[in-house]
Amino acid sequence: MTRSTFASASSAPGSGRALTLLAGWHVALSVALVGGALATLNSAAASEALRIAAAIGLALAASGSAAATLFIARRNHLGRTLSLVVNYIVFLACLIGLAHTLGVFMGLDDLADYMARGFPFGMGALFVVGYFISTTALHERPVSLARRNLGRVLMALGAIGFLLTAGVVPALASLPGKYISGNLLPLALTAGVMTTGYLLWSMWRGESARAMGAKNIHTERLNGWLFLSPNLLGFILFFAGPLLFSLYVSFTNWDSFNKRDWVGLDNYRRVFNLTVQALKTANQPAGDVIDVRVYDELLRANLFGQSYLIGAEDKRFWISLRNTLVFGLLAVPLAVIPALALAALLNSRLPGMRFYRTLYFIPSVAAVVGVALIWQWMYNSQVGWINYFITNAISLINSVLGSNIKDPQIRWLADSDYALLSVVIMSAWQWLGFNTVLFLAGLQTIPRELYEAATVDGANPGQQFFNVTLPMLAPTTLYVLTTTTIQALQVFDQVFIVSNGTGGPGTSTLTMTLNLYQNGFQSFRQGYASALAWVLFVVIFAFTLFQFRRQRRASGAYDM
Amino acid sequence: MKTKYSLIGLLTAAGVSLAACAAPTAQPAQPAQPSEPAATQAAAPVEISLRWRTRPDNKEEADVYAKISDEVAQKLGVKLTYEPGGSETSSYQDVLRTELAAGTAPDVFWIPGTDIADFVQRGLLLDLRPYANATPGYSDSNYYPEPMFHLTYNPETGKPGEVLWGLPRDVSTFVLYLNMDLINEAGAPDPRELAKEGKWDWAAFKSTAEKVNALGGDIKGYGMNAWWGPYGAFMNAAGGGFFNAERNACNLNSKASLEGLAFARGLYDAGIAVPYGEDSEPPFRAGKVGMFQNGRWATPGISTVTFNWDVVELPKGPSGHMGNWLFWGAYVVNKNTKHPEIAWKLVDALTQADVQAQVAARGTNIPSRVGESVFAEFLKILPDKNNQAFLNGLADKPTAEGPLWTGSWPDFDQVMGAKVSDVLTGKLSVEEFGKTVCDEAGKAFKQ
Repeated sequence: MTRSTFASASSAPGSGRALTLLAGWHVALSVALVGGALATLNSAAASEALRIAAAIGLALAASGSAAATLFIARRNHLGRTLSLVVNYIVFLACLIGLAHTLGVFMGLDDLADYMARGFPFGMGALFVVGYFISTTALHERPVSLARRNLGRVLMALGAIGFLLTAGVVPALASLPGKYISGNLLPLALTAGVMTTGYLLWSMWRGESARAMGAKNIHTERLNGWLFLSPNLLGFILFFAGPLLFSLYVSFTNWDSFNKRDWVGLDNYRRVFNLTVQALKTANQPAGDVIDVRVYDELLRANLFGQSYLIGAEDKRFWISLRNTLVFGLLAVPLAVIPALALAALLNSRLPGMRFYRTLYFIPSVAAVVGVALIWQWMYNSQVGWINYFITNAISLINSVLGSNIKDPQIRWLADSDYALLSVVIMSAWQWLGFNTVLFLAGLQTIPRELYEAATVDGANPGQQFFNVTLPMLAPTTLYVLTTTTIQALQVFDQVFIVSNGTGGPGTSTLTMTLNLYQNGFQSFRQGYASALAWVLFVVIFAFTLFQFRRQRRASGAYDM
Repeated sequence: MKTKYSLIGLLTAAGVSLAACAAPTAQPAQPAQPSEPAATQAAAPVEISLRWRTRPDNKEEADVYAKISDEVAQKLGVKLTYEPGGSETSSYQDVLRTELAAGTAPDVFWIPGTDIADFVQRGLLLDLRPYANATPGYSDSNYYPEPMFHLTYNPETGKPGEVLWGLPRDVSTFVLYLNMDLINEAGAPDPRELAKEGKWDWAAFKSTAEKVNALGGDIKGYGMNAWWGPYGAFMNAAGGGFFNAERNACNLNSKASLEGLAFARGLYDAGIAVPYGEDSEPPFRAGKVGMFQNGRWATPGISTVTFNWDVVELPKGPSGHMGNWLFWGAYVVNKNTKHPEIAWKLVDALTQADVQAQVAARGTNIPSRVGESVFAEFLKILPDKNNQAFLNGLADKPTAEGPLWTGSWPDFDQVMGAKVSDVLTGKLSVEEFGKTVCDEAGKAFKQ
């Protein structure tokens, strides 16, 4: 069937008239979307940023719709693609808007609370029991029709009872009231859902595809995008959008509530503003050499006999940067090297290994807050288990060896010399299990033949590990190192819990994310906090890039 | 078969979504409400969302508030939704501020005294003065004057009494929780008796701590937690404090403030205190600390210990006073509430004497209203304990936990907290602290 013969005079999907109507719809939609964009810009209903973002979104959709019109008129398959995309987005927007207008989201919240306690849960259980009876009946020989029917009846009763007790009848009764309450929005949104829903169905059909000259590959691509769309839309709305918004905010002095003046690079200038001054004597007061109304003393250093003082406008940023880097330098090796050793051990065929694999993974799935609170108790220098064991161990050693080792009574979380180390140990412990599983998976993909060949060549276990295992594990190692480094540079929950949000004692556990949080959510300098977030992003990006390049070089060397 | 199941699943999901349209009406208690006509709905009770702070590990207190909420709702003829706020460790204020920024905060909520200025200056709170003036029997003088100074402070004119940002929910103050078994075992004089005789001062306090500490092992004489309240009390008792009298400049480097800090540092240097930064409550509850400084909010937890315990007021410092704090927080009204008048009535109802008495009976706080009858009722709670110590603390010129109207309290506290921590853990001398602290903390007053 040729395109011209298919585009007959009928109004069936893909017919010439249907496509003309569709093109008309896209013209009208473009106009409506442009109008919506202008209205949004001039509205006072939401914050400026939200209005601008919404207007950009509407303008993009309007452009897509206009382009769809042109391509549909030319019977170009791009018109079909654009039409499907625009209508899909409008359909979702109308559906979500309708659900919101009808109170579905708030209602679901209430329902969840109610159902967890009430009768509908029992009805749901009845449905599950019915399903179980019905499916097990199918596995009997001969198939028990009576049991299968019983299961189906129970399922039907469960589903109906579930809906009835969840309140579907009063809900249906209340729906007309919401439509005739004078508010035209539900009606408009319902019309939007139905129209775009129909157009989507119509344009998706094979007849339309053929009429628009779409080939199988185009349909396959659309299928791919359709499956990807929930994640893609979520990514755009909840990740990429806020990310770009935070970049914009970093150039303002926004406090979350009122003022949001454009300050250009001032936030970034403040972050990096340092001054270095030579001192006459090592103990010369800071106020003699720097303007203490602007700068705080960061550190003193002696270079070639000359003392210098470094002042920073935001001292806490530099302290947090140092703490974060120290944390990463300590925590990453502690969470990676033992994980590799543990994985090698768990990869053996000794009895009970499956149990231990599970055991070591448990910390990774435990809630960070719970873990941190438990460690906080264990670290207590007075009544904590760790010091208790250290004290007993030292007593035992002293009594056995006759030595006189002094109990250090380490104040794990109260001494600024140990606090960060304490968090490192706790975090490494928690990350160890996950890294172990990754290494274990990597180890199990290494062909046994390589070890057999190495054994034949006379390699001992150590040589096999360094010359076979490690090179073959390189991709896994890169992944583990990269993800653990990113985790370490973003450490927040652990320090927040153990220092009660202060980064103390002193500033010893103040990390970059905690400093960011304090600025953004305690002092409400959202603009400055956004700038700090982007600086952190650059730091993490630099580390990740370094690791990738290093790995690439190492891989190249190995390949050669 | 798969299609059938998919269809059933789809229909069920659609049914649930539909049911959610009227979920509040779908609850068995009120089955008919969803289908009520619009006109009837307009006459239905006004819904006000209410959230306030509860302390950690205290579900009982949240239950009391829920009960109060129901009673007040009935009394006012409105529908109230009580939302228990998170604990101290779950950043109640940070969450609340974020909700305010997002426009999803409740109509009425509790905030600590230190946050009043910040919230007012960001335009988040409703001025309740017009509603209060129209309420028979209302008077600012019904409450402790220290919090009311800040709650009626007009930042535009710099005068108190002109506006009303909220009403104090409760007050509290520090005492020393005593492990009488340890004190008796150490042969130290009873601090309660010393207080009655007017001999409970820093020297007596330190002597008692030393004697308990001398019991040896992991016993400590004294413990306090790491936040501004405990060390601030020492500074206050020495005659110093965080701010100057006008509260517009740093006073941490004054001679008196440094004297108070030096005394606190001495407790740690002598090894008679639980290391600064450690939570002192677990070792106290484990019976290993003689005296633990904390507020009334610690009473329910401590009342479960198995040893013989009681409380005594803070010892008097060189200024002749305890230097105690008057901790307070207030119910305030969201400026964006749609029901300002009802919100005010709610705030007023929640701070009535009978309501405060119900909360105080839990033992976690002290009513914010003043008057002999209120005091008499408070003294009846845990009658075998020295409740008078709390009232003595409140009567001895306490410093009100107060906001910074000319600066940022979080910024000031960040600098001060880190520096004091360095002093009390031996990383920084008191002299060095005095030389640099106000250069750094003073920047909080720029804003």
